[in-house]
Amino acid sequence: MATELMPGRKRFTVGTVLADVAIVGWFVFSLFPIVWMVLLSLKTSADQTSTYFAFSPTLENFGTVLSAKGEALTSVNFSQALITSVINCGAAVIVSLVIGIPAAYAAGRWKYRGSNDLMFTILSFRFAPELMVIVPLFVIYNQIGLFDTKVGLIWVLQLVTMPLVVWILRSYFEDMPAELEQAALLDGYTRRRAFIMVALPLVRPGIAAAALLAFIFAWNNYVFPLILTGSDNSTVTVAISKYLGGGGQAYYNLTAAAAIIGALPPLILALTIQRYLVRGLSFGAVKS
Amino acid sequence: MATLETRGLTKSYGKTRGIEDVTLEIGDGEFFVILGPSGAGKTTTLKSVAGLVDVDSGEVTIGGVSMNGVEPYHRNVAMAFESYALYPQKTVSQNLASPLRSGRTGRYSEEDQQRRIELVTTTLGINHLLKRFPRELSNGQRQRVALGRVLVRPADVYLLDEPLSHLDAKLRAAMRAELKQLGEMSSTTSLYVTHDYQEALALGDRIAVLREGRLVQVGTPEEIWHRPVDTFVAKALGQPEINLVDAVVDRGVLRTQGDALQVPLAGDLELAPDDHARIGVRPRDIELSRGAEPLEDHLRVRATVRLSERLGREIELTVDAGGVSLVAVTPGAHVFDEGQSVELDIPLDHVHVFAAPAGDDPDADSARLGAATVEQVSATSGRQQ
Repeated sequence: MATELMPGRKRFTVGTVLADVAIVGWFVFSLFPIVWMVLLSLKTSADQTSTYFAFSPTLENFGTVLSAKGEALTSVNFSQALITSVINCGAAVIVSLVIGIPAAYAAGRWKYRGSNDLMFTILSFRFAPELMVIVPLFVIYNQIGLFDTKVGLIWVLQLVTMPLVVWILRSYFEDMPAELEQAALLDGYTRRRAFIMVALPLVRPGIAAAALLAFIFAWNNYVFPLILTGSDNSTVTVAISKYLGGGGQAYYNLTAAAAIIGALPPLILALTIQRYLVRGLSFGAVKS
Repeated sequence: MATLETRGLTKSYGKTRGIEDVTLEIGDGEFFVILGPSGAGKTTTLKSVAGLVDVDSGEVTIGGVSMNGVEPYHRNVAMAFESYALYPQKTVSQNLASPLRSGRTGRYSEEDQQRRIELVTTTLGINHLLKRFPRELSNGQRQRVALGRVLVRPADVYLLDEPLSHLDAKLRAAMRAELKQLGEMSSTTSLYVTHDYQEALALGDRIAVLREGRLVQVGTPEEIWHRPVDTFVAKALGQPEINLVDAVVDRGVLRTQGDALQVPLAGDLELAPDDHARIGVRPRDIELSRGAEPLEDHLRVRATVRLSERLGREIELTVDAGGVSLVAVTPGAHVFDEGQSVELDIPLDHVHVFAAPAGDDPDADSARLGAATVEQVSATSGRQQ
């Protein structure tokens, strides 16, 4: 692809140079907060409010966050929150896939009265600001005993992950020619087996992409766990924010260290899943 | 093996008509061809038989059993899709094994499967491709794999949707010759869809011509060729297209503009004086005159050559006969000069008479009224293309 887009030697013109400068400028702008966060996480408490780039770096902050020392400062066990987040988000994504894949398939394959309205309704879960639904949810959760439970949070995270999974996968199923499954039906396979044997393997890249995005969105969600969990089931996002003090002293260097640790699981997941994200597996299935 | 019947199949897509009232009776082991231009409803007909399209009304019967409400996987039909529909994540070998492994087309041991795949891929000339994936094949190869996935299994009915359309010309001719001889194919009821009239004439035991979702004519290749029901069927068969010339009845003779063609009215043509009609003559039915004397039962036409093109062994002549343009294909040895006068003979029994186009559109299709001579009940002259 790259070779097709840029045949031969690259020519330097005023336009390309300006474009390169603009790209570099944009990178500096967008990456600077991350750079600053990394720097901050390596500073001691004495240096944390300084704006100098020169300081003696330390890894101590990471140790503090992951140990009992951090828990003493914030009354939240960060390692525990990390595990809770992995469980919550993992489970939320799995539930979304189990329900969302068949839903997306149905939506992509069959048009029926109101099918578009239904899809729009599912998407509309994403329109409403979380703060709008959080109060009634809090009341309900308190009454039915789901407050500060993993099940409760996994359930509410469906509002975040399900629309994503259904909408992404629907377009994958729509792109896949229906004649592939029709061929399987005539080969003697039931609709269920045609789906599992033919359709499912072909949308694997889509499943990977949807699962990854859903995981990241669930992972980064802050409002739901903030309101709907207490100290037992705090998530990473809530645990990170605790270092900002909440009335007491703010530990910017510890916040930065916690944020970096908190960013690692989605990053690792993205890197592992990357090779499944290739599209184009269905090339050659039908004539183009 | 089984008979196949469709009764009044009708399917529309929103406001567009897919097919309307398609009724066919196909005998056990018959090779039946549906011929029609794209968009005529050929694929819809096939998919209705397969159960892949829910028809609005009508019934499909296979082997005397109604298929209404029967799932595609219980119909025991095999289909080659025009789009191939090969499983992209499976190799050629796995694609071909797929119908044998479903358990609904019979039970096959591993050796049985291998033997059947070996047999069919050898016949189709693709046995060196077994380990490849569909994306690694040319369109012609993919098409043969799709055909192989049909032939590899026994079925009550084979449904073939343009299975030769993407082969190159040479291979297509070879496959066309072989197709009917393929073991299973020769004994299995087959419904074959094509837009290529040569394929239809060469392969079909019978042909149905489909136009805008409706059956126009059903018959043997001879019937379709010699007695097309209307100008649509006449134009659909033959390349170059049939010559259609407007004519008027005058003193018992159909005359074209300038009297270049004068067709005596045979007894069974119901035309009154001053009636308009169209004369149809296939380019290959026009012969160069050999002698000076007009032959019996032939029309003699004097014309001027406008264009003369060599097409392999044959010459395609475009001539002007008193203001009427005619195309003739002759096995002549030499090319004519532009402006040269020629004399042409047209056997009267190959002169078709069609009704005048109804309405204002001069190109509208119209029904065939008959031939210029009293027709024999069975058209015995050889198949021509």
